[in-house]
Amino acid sequence: LPKITYHHDDGTQDVLDVADGSTVMRSAVTSGVHGIVGECGGQAMCATCHVYVREPDLAALPEISEEEEEMLECAAAERDETRSRLGCQLTLGGQLPELEVDVPKAQV
Amino acid sequence: MTVTPQQTSDTPIADWVTLSALHADPFPIYRRLRDEMPVSWVPAVGRYLVTRFADVHTVDTDAETFSADESDSLMKRAMGHSMLRKDDPAHQRERKAAGTPLRPNQVKKQWTPIFQRNAEALLGGIRGDGAAELIDSFAAPFAARNLAEIIGLPNASAQDMRRWSQTMIDGTGNYADDAHVWERAERSYYEVNEALDEMIPRLRAEPDASMVSAMLHADDPLGIEEIRANVKMTIGGGLNEPRDVLGVAVHALLSEGQQLAQVLAEPALFATVFDEAVRYVAPIGMYPRQTTREVELGGTVLPAGAKLGVVAGSANRDERQFEEPDTFDVHREKKPHVAFGGGAHYCLGAWAAKASVATVALPMLFDRLPGLRLDPDRRARAAGWVFRGMAELPVAWIR
Repeated sequence: LPKITYHHDDGTQDVLDVADGSTVMRSAVTSGVHGIVGECGGQAMCATCHVYVREPDLAALPEISEEEEEMLECAAAERDETRSRLGCQLTLGGQLPELEVDVPKAQV
Repeated sequence: MTVTPQQTSDTPIADWVTLSALHADPFPIYRRLRDEMPVSWVPAVGRYLVTRFADVHTVDTDAETFSADESDSLMKRAMGHSMLRKDDPAHQRERKAAGTPLRPNQVKKQWTPIFQRNAEALLGGIRGDGAAELIDSFAAPFAARNLAEIIGLPNASAQDMRRWSQTMIDGTGNYADDAHVWERAERSYYEVNEALDEMIPRLRAEPDASMVSAMLHADDPLGIEEIRANVKMTIGGGLNEPRDVLGVAVHALLSEGQQLAQVLAEPALFATVFDEAVRYVAPIGMYPRQTTREVELGGTVLPAGAKLGVVAGSANRDERQFEEPDTFDVHREKKPHVAFGGGAHYCLGAWAAKASVATVALPMLFDRLPGLRLDPDRRARAAGWVFRGMAELPVAWIR
């Protein structure tokens, strides 16, 4: 099963085994991972599932779409030019069997 | 109206709730419901009311169990079958077509200058008066003019927009089946169709930034009935909200002098004022859902086909989510609220509302009307629960 690790600000982490095709946002919301809100349910409209992807995984990510790009500019926590993504746009499985992300301090 | 079996012998029943009490001040009622029977059948409303934050969140994120496509929906009768009463994938298709003009970049580039122009004109018109009822003279016409342009109905006046919005909303809430209410809603229904018939050929030939144009020219374009229904829903659901958040925010700031001083000293806080105002009094206080199967929610077993009222206005005052929820506090810890709903139906107009109220109207209002204060001789009054906002907001300033 694909695996997602969510690193929190206080040094703790949540590690989830998720189904193929799950997103970083949906998996977090379903399992109650703190700090990922996902208000709009995954349509790149609210920027409350912002994550910082850890370096080794960056190359495997899909391109940032125009819609994701504008929403990242609206995120509550500062955007990191290379690591910031919306969790709802990151789907696990296939080329992305594992992912480690840092959860920002604020989503709203 | 069809009466389907909605309750079992174990169903908690809140027979003490009345419509008049909800209209005057729903918050004490919501508190009691949250504490005693968070998911209960409310005979006066003909629905189960869902009042706790956690349960509202559950409903918002499980569209398969909690459908937006309600049977015997008065909204469908009053406005046609818009995306607001559809589930995915049908909803998603229409939303994708209609939503492009409301994305943040479009709001910033295309609409914010128009919001500024409209606010400037309206405030310029009342500035010399020294006093006004702010909803009727500013908040409502501001929201109406903005909305007409975003939708693509420059041929509609602010008065048209306000009348259409109110009469179709009244139809949506016409549980008493009052013939006169239907008559007025129906007149608006056809007037909106006429206004669209006038605009659609133009927008088909010359696309612009409006929603109607986006629906016509989408990769998967919408048909005329889909456009008509979605425009009516947007008129019904896009005018009150910016109007009411503006009224509530101004009233709260004028009632809390210390917070007002802090905000005026640090105008970036107007964004926080906006978020706190929609949390404090959610402009859309309640929206319907219907269960597709038997399901337990908040300790209550709901039968399949149960009609729910999802009470955002209560969830946003839930003590389990917010500390001192009945206080307006721009300094409170930032937490998610449900004023814009959640999930697939998350408010399409959220960014436009934020820009029009927080970026444009609030700062300009306090700048152009110096010494703005509540009118000491006339009482401000809030009203409503399905839609809640300031019914009257008399203010005065230094001419």
